[in-house]
Amino acid sequence: MRLLRRIFVAVFLAGFSAAIMRLRGTGGTPPQHGGWKPLELADDPPASPEPSG
Amino acid sequence: MSPTGRIVVVGDGVVGRRSVRALGGPTVVERRAGRTRWITDGLAPGDVVVLATPAPHAPAAAELGARGVSVVSVGDDLADTVELLELDDRFRAEGASLVVGAAMSPGLSGLLARHLASQLAVADEVHVAVHATAGAACARQHHRALRGRSLNWRDEGWVERPAGSGRELAWFPEPVGARDCYRAELSDPVLLHRAFPEAGRITARMSATRRDRLTARLPMLRAPHPEGGIGALRVEVRGADAVGRRETLVVGVAEFVGAITAGVVTAFAATLAGRAPGIAIPDGVVLAADAALPTRSLLGAVAATGVRLQEFTGVPHA
Repeated sequence: MRLLRRIFVAVFLAGFSAAIMRLRGTGGTPPQHGGWKPLELADDPPASPEPSG
Repeated sequence: MSPTGRIVVVGDGVVGRRSVRALGGPTVVERRAGRTRWITDGLAPGDVVVLATPAPHAPAAAELGARGVSVVSVGDDLADTVELLELDDRFRAEGASLVVGAAMSPGLSGLLARHLASQLAVADEVHVAVHATAGAACARQHHRALRGRSLNWRDEGWVERPAGSGRELAWFPEPVGARDCYRAELSDPVLLHRAFPEAGRITARMSATRRDRLTARLPMLRAPHPEGGIGALRVEVRGADAVGRRETLVVGVAEFVGAITAGVVTAFAATLAGRAPGIAIPDGVVLAADAALPTRSLLGAVAATGVRLQEFTGVPHA
């Protein structure tokens, strides 16, 4: 019975610690800024290499 | 070389069919089976052949090059790519071109890397990440790539590592988003190193699931899909601007891989066939990241097929 109680306490403490870290941790937040926009090629200077052969 | 405007697409898979559709127009476009004897039948110098069959492409390319026929290879097999690179003299002697790696990666990855590098005074790192596959042959190649050895360039030497290692989270354009990417036996670093010999770091990774990595050393457990879903490409170039300030530029694409590859094929094949006035491709072996290519015009041709090129607007922080 004493062993069972210890196991329950250990599991509770582990879960409680994990919940605290999950809710209060700062390591896993994905970027909240930035994004993607269409690549603009129109303003680039035209390429004009010498024709081959 | 005077282009005849004749384009032959070899391959009946997703990429072959999409390429024929994208190339449609006044120029003759044929689709043929993938045996060398049938490929070369009736071809003349100045014609363009698109090889969209599973690897190897080198034997067919060698035969076509000897006839003065230009070749666009969509292959991404590392060993086959190395053999294709050795055909430079043969194509140059016949006044023909051999485009090595005209797919999403390699292919569009090289065009985008060159485009980004042209905005920097010094480009010293190039990193490529890819997600998903086109057709069944591409899926098989993806499977093989995860059980091989990856080659990445680092500080004046090749670093060889087991494929499936080196997990990195890569952010692709939506709807793909973030994916875990791993080292793999990819040809992109080899081709990018030839185009950017000054770069200190060149890496390529591809996305994979736990099941992909777990089963990579086994035969494929089930037949690959006819066509994969939305794929993606992300190209990151790091370097310095004119005043020495560090810059990181990122561009990406999220489309069907077959559609992206067909767009790249169209850009190169149409230019080789003389359908793009004012621009040309040099003789010999040509890489998408070559500085001698009309990169922006080729990217414009890819975009004209409906591929949406996107640039990352945020500041990437580790």
